[in-house]
Parts: sequence; C-alpha cells; structure tokens
Amino acid sequence: MMPILSMIVLIPLIFAALALFTKTKEQARVIALAGTVIVLLLTVYMYFNFDSTIADNQFEELAQWVPSLGITYHLGVDGIAMPLILLNAIVLPLLVLFTWNDDRKSPNKFYALILATEGAVIGVFTALDFFLFYVFWELTLIPLFFMVSIWGGPNKHKAAIKFFIYTHVASLVMLLGIFGLYFAAWDLTGTPSLDIPYLIGQFQFIESGIAKDMIFLALLFGFIVKIPSFPFHSWLPDAYTEAPTAGSVLFVMLKIGGYGLFKVMLPMLPFTASPNLMITIMAVLGSVSILYGAFLALSQKDMKRMVAYSSVSHMGYVTLGAAGLISLSVSGAMFQQFSHGLIMSIMFMSCGVINNTTGTRIMNNLGGLAQKMPKLAVIMVLTFMASLGLPGLTGFIAEVSVLAGSFVNLPSYVIIAVMAIVITAAYHLWALQRAMFGVYNEKLGTVTDINVFQTFSMGVIAILIVYFGLHPTPVLDMMITNSDHIVSLMAAMGV
Amino acid sequence: MDIMLLAPEIVIAVTGLAVLLIGLFLPTDSKKVLGYLASLGVLVALGLTISSLGTEATLFNNTVTIDALSQYFKIVFLVVALLFSIAGIKYTEGHSHTEEFFTLGLFGTIGMMFVASANDLMVLFVAFELASLATYALAGFEKKNAKSLEAAMKYFIIGSLSAALMLLGISYVYGATGTTSIPEIAANSATLVSSPMGIVAVVLLLAGFGFKIALVPFHMWAPDTYQGSPSVVSALLAAGSKKMGIVAALKVFVVALIALKADWQIAFAILAVITMTYGNVVALKQTSVKRMLAYSSLAQAGYITMAFVVLTPLALGGGIFYALSHGFMKAGAFIATAAVTYMVLSENKDSADPDHIDNFRGLGKRMPITALCMTIFVFALAGIPLTAGYMSKFVLFSSTIQAGFVWLAVIAILNSAISLGYYAKIVKYMYFLPTDGDKVSEPFPYTIALIVAAIGVLAIGFWSEPFVHWAMEAASVLIPGGM
Repeated sequence: MMPILSMIVLIPLIFAALALFTKTKEQARVIALAGTVIVLLLTVYMYFNFDSTIADNQFEELAQWVPSLGITYHLGVDGIAMPLILLNAIVLPLLVLFTWNDDRKSPNKFYALILATEGAVIGVFTALDFFLFYVFWELTLIPLFFMVSIWGGPNKHKAAIKFFIYTHVASLVMLLGIFGLYFAAWDLTGTPSLDIPYLIGQFQFIESGIAKDMIFLALLFGFIVKIPSFPFHSWLPDAYTEAPTAGSVLFVMLKIGGYGLFKVMLPMLPFTASPNLMITIMAVLGSVSILYGAFLALSQKDMKRMVAYSSVSHMGYVTLGAAGLISLSVSGAMFQQFSHGLIMSIMFMSCGVINNTTGTRIMNNLGGLAQKMPKLAVIMVLTFMASLGLPGLTGFIAEVSVLAGSFVNLPSYVIIAVMAIVITAAYHLWALQRAMFGVYNEKLGTVTDINVFQTFSMGVIAILIVYFGLHPTPVLDMMITNSDHIVSLMAAMGV
Repeated sequence: MDIMLLAPEIVIAVTGLAVLLIGLFLPTDSKKVLGYLASLGVLVALGLTISSLGTEATLFNNTVTIDALSQYFKIVFLVVALLFSIAGIKYTEGHSHTEEFFTLGLFGTIGMMFVASANDLMVLFVAFELASLATYALAGFEKKNAKSLEAAMKYFIIGSLSAALMLLGISYVYGATGTTSIPEIAANSATLVSSPMGIVAVVLLLAGFGFKIALVPFHMWAPDTYQGSPSVVSALLAAGSKKMGIVAALKVFVVALIALKADWQIAFAILAVITMTYGNVVALKQTSVKRMLAYSSLAQAGYITMAFVVLTPLALGGGIFYALSHGFMKAGAFIATAAVTYMVLSENKDSADPDHIDNFRGLGKRMPITALCMTIFVFALAGIPLTAGYMSKFVLFSSTIQAGFVWLAVIAILNSAISLGYYAKIVKYMYFLPTDGDKVSEPFPYTIALIVAAIGVLAIGFWSEPFVHWAMEAASVLIPGGM
C-alpha cells in the first residue's frame, strides 16, 4: 500500500519549496493550487477507505528513527484526526482560489507559507510519536509567524512576536510534560519510547502522585494556550486581527490544541491522581471562555476583532464539551472544531473582502453594503446564522450536543455557557445590521462585490456548512466512534 | 606501542610543518595553495580518525589513551579545523603571512586533539597550552587592526592567568594524591576527599576551566575576543577551543575528581544557570553580530555545563553530543559572518564595524547561499526541530528531567525561548528588511565551508541515531559501569 499519510504531509512541504522558487504570481498560485488539490484528492481517497466504525489508528506507517532514544517515524489517523485533515484539505485549495487575484509583494513566499502551514498542521494530526508530533507542532509556528510579520496589519510585528513567544513558551511547557511522561514510562519499563498511544497506555501504570498531575497539567497547558482558552487567549485577537486574511484562515485551521485535548488529554484523564479536579479546571476554562469571549466580541468596533473574540467564545465549547465526558458532548466538541473551521474561514474572508474594498473594518463606518455586495451579503448572512447557532447549520449541531451532553455532568457550567447564547446572537446580528444593512454609507466610495474566485471559494464552504448542518453523519460518525471509546474508558475507571 | 594509532596527529603535524616551509618559498599571490594543502591534511586526518573508530589503546606509559571519548572529540576538533582551513583560504587571500595562519591553526588543533587523548594532567596541561598559544597568536592576526590586537591581548592575559590557576590546582591534586595520572588520581581520591586540599584544588580548577569555557563570571574576555578576532578565528575559538575546555573538564572533574562530586556539582549548577541566563539576556541587546554570537556562545556553554550537574550517562552523552552539534552550528555562524564582513570590506574598506547587524539587511537577496546557511545555523542554535541543535537540546534537557533536576530544565528551556529573540532578529534582518545593496558573488571557499557546516547541522538533526549512539559510547568511557 502506498504511504498515503507521508504523502499528504510531504506533498505540501515539497510544493512549498517549489513555490518559493517561482518568479511570478501566476506560477506561485498554480503551484499552490496543484499542491493543495493533490492533498485534497488523497484525503478524499483516504476518507473513502476509512473505517468509521473503529476507534483505532488507520493507515499506520512505522519506521525506526532514533532507536536509542525510542524515537520512531509513526503516522496514523483515527476518527479524531480524520475530520480535521478533511477540513484542512477542503479549505486550503479554496483559500488559494480566494487569493487568486490578489496583488501582494513576494507571492512566492506567500504561497510557500500557506503550503508549509498545511503540511505542518496535517503533520500534527497524523503523528503518533511525540517527537514527530512536537516537530510538526513547532513547525506550525514558523510560517504563521512570517505570514503575520510580512503581510500583516499596522501592528504586525508586535502581534507576530506576541503570538510566537506566547505559544512557543506554551509548547515548551508541553515539552516538559512530554519529557515527564517519557521518563516515567522509561523508568517503568526500561525501554525508551515516545510513541503516543504507547505512552498514553503507560500513564496509568505510573505511580500516582503529584508528578502525575503535573505531567497532565503541563500537557494541558500547551493545548489550552493553542486553543486558546481564557485566560491564555490574549495572543489570539492580536494575531488573528493583524494577520492577512489568508493568515487568519490558516490560524483557524490550526485546530491542534483541541485535537490534543481529545487525542492525548482525555485518554489520560481517568488515570490522573485527581481526575475530578482536572475536569473542573477544563470546565471552568471552557465555560468562562464562552461567556467572556462573547462579551468581548460584543464590545468590539472592528469587525475582524469581533470575529477574533467570537473565536475565543466558540472554542470554549471545545474545552467544555471535552470536560463533559459524555459521548454526546465529546463528539459535539469534536464537531465544533470542524464546524468552527468552516464558519470562521468565511467570516475572516468576509472581513478581508470588506476591508479591501472599503478600506475600513470599523462597523460604524460601514453600512448598507448588502446593496453593493449582494453575493457577499448572502454568504455572510448564512455564515453568521451558522455561527450564532441557527438550526440546520453546522454550528447548531455542535453547540447543542456540547450543551446538552455536558449538562449531565456539569450543569452549573452549562448554565454559565447558555447565558452567552443571547449575547452571541446579539453581536452577530448587530454586526450584520451595522455593516451590511440599513442605508448605504455614501462615503465609502466605489465598492465592488466579491470576484468570481472569491464567490466560488466562499460559496463552496457555505454549501458545506449547510450540507453538514443537515447531514452531519459523514464526519460525525467517526467522532462518535472515538468519543464512545474515550468515554467507555472513563466509565471503566469510574470517573 | 603502535605509532599508527597517532596517525591523525602526525598527519596534522606534518601538514603544519609542510605548510610553513612551502609558504616561505612562495610569492604572496600563489599562497592560496597552502590553504588547500592544510584542508587536505585535515581531511586525511579526519578520514584516519574515522577509520580507526573503535580502537582502544594506551600509549606513552599510560599518559595518552585512545578510546571512544578521545576519538569523538578528535573528530569534533578536526571538523572545526576543516571548516577553519577551508574558510581560511578566502580570508588569507593576498596575505603575506598565510603560512603562519594555517600552521598556527593546525598546531592548535594538535593541541586540542592531545587534550582529548590526555590521560595524565601534565600531558593535558601541555596540550592545553599548545592549543592556547596558537590561538593567542591567531586572535591577533590582523596586526594593523586595533580591535584584533586588543582581542589577542585580553585573551592572552586572561588565558595565562587561567593556565596559572589550573596549574596550581593540578599541583594541589598532585600534592594530595602523589600522582598526575588521571586514573590513579581517581583511585587515590580518598586522600583528596579527607583533606582541605581537595576543596582548594576544585576551586582553582573550576576557575581555570571556567575561563577557558567562558562561564560567567569568568567570561569577561570572551565577547571582546570573539568580536575582535578575525571571524574565521572566532569560529575556531568558539567551536574548537571551547570544546577543548569541556573535554578537559570532563576528564578532570568527572573522571579524576569524581569523589569530590558533592563539592563541584552544585558549583557547576550555579555557573550553568548564571551563564545561560546572562549570555542570553545580554545577547538580546547586541548590534554587533559577532558579539551576539559570542554571548550566545556563553549561553550554549551554560547548557552544556548542565551535563556536569546531572551526571547521568544520558546527560553526559547529551553534553558530548551537544559539543559536536555546537561545533558545526557555531563555526558555521561565524564563517557566515566572515563572508558578510568580506562583502562589506570589499565595498567599503574603512568600515569600522563590518559585522554590524545593519550589514545583514537584505542578505537573503545579496548573498542567498550565505543567508540560507546562516538561517540554518541560527535556527539550529535556537533549537528549532530537525536540526542538530534541537536534537542536542532534546537529549540534554530531557536527561536533566530524567535525573529529577526539573528546575534546571525549566530554566534552560525558558532560556532557549529567550534566545529565539535574537536569533530571529538575524533572520528578520536577512529576509525582511530592505537593502540598497546589489547581489554580490559569494566567495567560493566560504560557501564551501558554509555548505559543509549546514549539511552537518541538518544531517545530525535528521539522522541522529548514529551520532547519539556514538556520543553515548563516548560518555560510557567517563563512567564505566554507570553512576
């Protein structure tokens, strides 16, 4: 069988190198489209050969790398990773199309960075060895750092440095956790190994105590900052807002923090010394993020900043659902990651388009754009509805599953989160009303609607939002299988 | 005794003498050949050393040993010497003292190689001084440059002082144990532990080696010397002679004075922490790239010093492995600076500080190969994954956690995060800031040296197994049977 996982990781990286050597915008974008489309085709092929009924890793590849330290080249995907790979594979070619007609300096670097991010992110989702996982995890930082610092907004340097240092420190703390786990297991068995499933399995045999909780918390910190969750979210609004549109979309595709929660944290949770404390920590972080993010979004004047804060709020559902520990809440949280990726891509694309054509993102200075930009208006209204949780669209499925599921175990936290729903509806509608509807603001000058490439890419994502909203089973099945598996593990431990 | 065991040293010595003699008869403009000759000699010695891996023997009444540790460090020194002599071809172009430059470099390398093989404190000291004297002269090679002279002067005075301290320390050890043989000192260390002489010896030796490895607070000479010396020489100093201090310290502390572990372990812990923190914090503010690299070199020495604190087989292996990686990364970074300096001086002969970071503006466009290699080196120094620097930090830091020194690992890791600040600055200048200069043709020998070093950095990062294994083997010499 062909090493399909290696291919979907390496092809974007190879194409990134190719794109770097192109001379013109035309060449660069064609390379980028070719690379991302190949990944999409391979991913679709993989999806059709994926068995959604088992929770195990599939398409595994294993080779020794540094045997004396227990480092292997181990790849595989399960129902947690597969939907996220699918998300990246679908959105990235559309993102390339979205930027098709843009004029910017050094397009070769721009498309190279997009491809490099794709390779690194998919790398994180496929790695089954902590060493490899960490390599890809850190690799995601570099292209995004450059993306923000070259093509970002007026405060790009500050935002880029803040993002880099913040998340790098978090990764280092995570690395400490990985080391702790690695050596505890090494002492136990006498053989070094960094294999993720193996180490997670060994975690239960480590002598109980504070060290065990410290390992768990160190890993959790790394993931929580990446999600990001209150109170570690402050890098996000700056980075998301200052990034160019494509960069913001790439940030949204970076679902590695939530992925870590499901893939690493939840299977380890029942074996920590104090699982209830850990659940409480996650529940508090999740529910506070939902409410706090929503409040902050409500108070924003800049549309992109509002979208960025809404992201903090929406990602809170991921943490809360994970802490809910019911198959429904966990799979809902996984679905939220998928849904959020689709919805936020369009929201950021909309902000970018509006900013390009009107020169501002301050909502009070806009107004009546729907008259001049009908195509954008249709797509935006649909997406905003999905984001605020209208039934029939993906956001609804995710949020209802999380709230209903988590209510069983964490009723008080769900009540906090539910209060956010009203605010969420308020800021979405208010934003639409201020920017898109009402009287057209004549000061804006000539405003043009989205071009054909942008319509296509945003349209396809919008259609997917409706499609998966009405018929989530193609991705939800994989998630349910895995969340059943995780939850049964918990039940067996009496957590 | 099989003299063939010393073949690499003999080749280097013969090459050094040959370069010196041939140089006397050559006109200045055809002295280029000397650099090629020196590089060839080093390459042959490197080949001989690699082909004799696995040999174990003792020579000259047990004063010199050939074992996994000495072989390993010899390779480190020869690699640095190779980079030094290849880059030197360009540096010495048109210089009337070319032959001295290469001969000093080669003799210095022999000194370092003998330090790696020394099994007796007297041999160790003599070899140490051979290497030091050669590098003192090299640091002041630019006789007309006041900075170079100052560099040499500071280095010489402080180096002599540290040699004196070291010698005094050795005399205490001899006084207490009645021997200078490293294994015999280890066997007789009971007398050292019981007498106050032991403590005095540890303090003196620590100060002596502290100077050489440039640990804070014994580091004062290092930034000035690294900045003032010709960049190619700085590469030799930072990547080569500093490693000599480390291998010597390994032999003296970890083998000979292991019984006094309780006394020096904590001292090394404190030195490691201050050195890495001070080096990184001060490096953040530098505008001279060479000075920045000098401070980063302090920081890196601080990391390696952790091996002396942790003292497990994995940690010592990690420290030794780090030494090899650092040899490639640091030598490469200094040679890249040499290439930039060359470019600046060829455009503006009177430039006061050719290694100012402003000269790196837009280097990605002006000298693409140099800029790419420099990026690889600084990312490796910062510990970005899949480079030699990351693998080394991975082994060393993780061994620190394994041994329970979590606080030390946390400090080291935070330091590593700080260091990204200034390493990223170099990359930012090279790729993101505009320049008004044009593309220049990159000097060939520098480019070769840079590519060799970059391949080394990437190869160790990607294909670590043999190197890690090999470093572990070298570490096992230090602690037969484990700790």
